[in-house]
Amino acid sequence: MTIWWLILILTALVSAGSAFIWLVLRIGQAGTGKPKAQAGSFQEAAEQDVEHIFNEQFREELRNRGRLHFEKIIGENAMFLQQDLRLTTSQLNEYMKTEITTKLRDEFDKYEQSIMDAKQLAVESIQKTNQAIDEQRAVISQQVEQQILLEKQQMIKRFEANMADIVNHYVLAAVGNQIDLSDQLEYILTDLEANKKAIVEDINSGA
Amino acid sequence: MAHNGAYQLPEDMVGLPVLVATPSDIGRLLRELESVENAMLQTELGGKQAAAPKLTSLMDQTVTMNKIDLTKPASRKAFQTFLTNLKKSAPVLHISFSADPTVPFMEKLVSWLRREIHPLVLVTVGLQPNLGAGCVVRSTNKYFDMSLRKNFANSRGILIAKLDEINGIPPVPAPAVVPSVATAGVPAQKVAA
Repeated sequence: MTIWWLILILTALVSAGSAFIWLVLRIGQAGTGKPKAQAGSFQEAAEQDVEHIFNEQFREELRNRGRLHFEKIIGENAMFLQQDLRLTTSQLNEYMKTEITTKLRDEFDKYEQSIMDAKQLAVESIQKTNQAIDEQRAVISQQVEQQILLEKQQMIKRFEANMADIVNHYVLAAVGNQIDLSDQLEYILTDLEANKKAIVEDINSGA
Repeated sequence: MAHNGAYQLPEDMVGLPVLVATPSDIGRLLRELESVENAMLQTELGGKQAAAPKLTSLMDQTVTMNKIDLTKPASRKAFQTFLTNLKKSAPVLHISFSADPTVPFMEKLVSWLRREIHPLVLVTVGLQPNLGAGCVVRSTNKYFDMSLRKNFANSRGILIAKLDEINGIPPVPAPAVVPSVATAGVPAQKVAA
């Protein structure tokens, strides 16, 4: 759109220039039909007229007009250019926003997807770990139960053995305090009688 | 009863009274005999006639039992030789009880030992309160545990079987209860080990 405006302005400038040249040439042709003698005077008169018409003041005015027109056109073009630039910038911003949003959404989608995949993997890994831990726990529980059972049996055996010793100890302590040595004489002599042969043999065999 | 290896009773001796039961008693008799010998010697040196010395009941019973005349030097010499040999070679039994034995108890025991084991056997008494009842006899080379503790230990299988029965555990065949007579004779070295 800006280019069209620029072309239009240039076309207007070219038209104005052409009109000006045509006008100069027309005025020049009007003077060429007089006789040669008069030619110099006409020429001079024309030049004087031209000088008179296109004097410095007129030229300056034309120059000012042209400058003003040119400035006006330039200002309009600048305005159009600015508008177009703003529009383009706005469109560009919109486009960039849309593109960036789309890209970001895609990237976020991919990122979310990768996070979901990682999460899924982590969940699966945790589930497998939990399963392994449960299995290990079951095995350990079984081993501990077996060990406890074994320990229990050994403790019962030890307890029974110690219990027998404890019972013996208490019975001995109780009986030893209650039975007088004189009452044991019969029992002692019976045992001595039972071992008499061995004792005699040992005594007779000497040291 | 033949006593081949141990010290034998001389023909002119009858034996020892039951009061003389320990090697210490023999030592006391020897010391007393020595003092008697010294007293007799002093009396003879003084030119007086030897009179019967005053004796302890231990010596008196021994002398009376063996009909020894202590006024005669030869008798004293023979008696001293007998006691010395006795102290050196008499068989000694070390018997431990759960409590201190009384004198009548020891008299009966020594009397039985002199009659059944050896006429000159001496006894040393020990104290082991954890025996419960009975005694432990240690001869020269052997150890005889005739205590209630040993009997309980031998019967431990029965006690465990009873405990199992009370606890509802199926009974396990108990080990054979070995009589104390068979297990009594254990070499002293093994016991010490």
